Amino acid sequence: MTLSSSATADHVYATGLRNQWHPVVPSHFVAPGAMRRVTALGEQWLLFRRSDGVLSMLADRCPHRGAPLSLGKHLGDRVACWYHGVEVEGDGTVSSVPGLPGCGLEGKKLVASLPVREVAGAVLAYFGDEEHPEPPELTLPEPLTEDGVSAFLCYAEWDVPWRYAVENLLDPMHGAFLHHDSHTMFDGDTTAKFRIRETDRGYFFEKTDQRGVNFDWVELCRTGVDWVDLSIPYPPSAGPGGPFGIVGMVCPVDEGRSGVFFWRYRRVEDWQRSSWRFLYRTLIEKRHWEVLEQDRAMLEAMPADADQRENLYQHDLGVVRLRRLYRAAAAEQTGARRG
Amino acid sequence: MTDPLTDAWPYLDVHQSRTHEPTPYEYKLAATLEEVFTKEGHEIADVVRGLNARQVHAADGTPWTEESFRAEITRLGA
Repeated sequence: MTLSSSATADHVYATGLRNQWHPVVPSHFVAPGAMRRVTALGEQWLLFRRSDGVLSMLADRCPHRGAPLSLGKHLGDRVACWYHGVEVEGDGTVSSVPGLPGCGLEGKKLVASLPVREVAGAVLAYFGDEEHPEPPELTLPEPLTEDGVSAFLCYAEWDVPWRYAVENLLDPMHGAFLHHDSHTMFDGDTTAKFRIRETDRGYFFEKTDQRGVNFDWVELCRTGVDWVDLSIPYPPSAGPGGPFGIVGMVCPVDEGRSGVFFWRYRRVEDWQRSSWRFLYRTLIEKRHWEVLEQDRAMLEAMPADADQRENLYQHDLGVVRLRRLYRAAAAEQTGARRG
Repeated sequence: MTDPLTDAWPYLDVHQSRTHEPTPYEYKLAATLEEVFTKEGHEIADVVRGLNARQVHAADGTPWTEESFRAEITRLGA
């Protein structure tokens, strides 16, 4: 069984909070009739898609001897372990033990199977522990569900602890420095005052004295899945429609790696929507990528003890708030299990 | 057997939204659109006037009209 109750708060803090949804990989990583091995929250999983498109997420571990099911064979509606042929269905039930027909394993649900949903081109999965197998209500980010919004998903894999990737998003001031040489964040003051504004689903961390010029605010939203929303102005060359927004999510892959999901979105319709989509594919996507690579280069170069030897100042309040929140959640999740 | 090696780390792909490498026509139209948006304005009339003034015409060589531009950008930005 995965998601062991023996996990410590430090382990949960390092590998990702339980009992919530997380993004895993883009949907197209698992074609109809295909399967794919993935690591998430420090554990090995198998994404398995039937030819009719139905997706399952199973622990990548045969219930017989523990061999990886991802090395096995896709049988259409189930997977057969390569080692001894044990067959497992999408819900984790052992359907057949070919070496010993009638074996007691048959008909038992012995493989962890996570609830999955596909949202705006990404696979989301619910990572509950033994005491919380059923997912809570999941409210999706409005920019990914509203009419009149056009979004593109950009996914990348970084050698960065998941929390550093989230902290980077709760640190708007880096835009004016790290991204000063970029097509969108070249403008605005390099000094600012920030405030935290609580909401019923998280908090805003925002400049008090500048808006609409650089990366000036960010909202952390905890709605069953953790995500951020932020907005960055486009130069006039990008055409009508105003700023572009980013919905960001991070997959905690393991202690040192993250999958980052950025939906770049714009409120545009009709010919303006088409113009944006055309320019994005042809010219803008590459510029956004260059900005994202600046983040990756900086975060991957951070020393392992970066957050142990800091001297923080007022611009880091959003990060401090985030750490407290996640620390408390990790302690609560593991403490509750021990109790 | 599905190849499990397709999960090679890391995935770092610059272009994730394209279905094809843009054609020279598409690159030229995009670059000119950016110039027109910068120098002429954001209304469709500005776009048509700006493209025609720069002689960056439709694929069949004819000057743009609002109708033809709307149809073409809908196709390109689908």
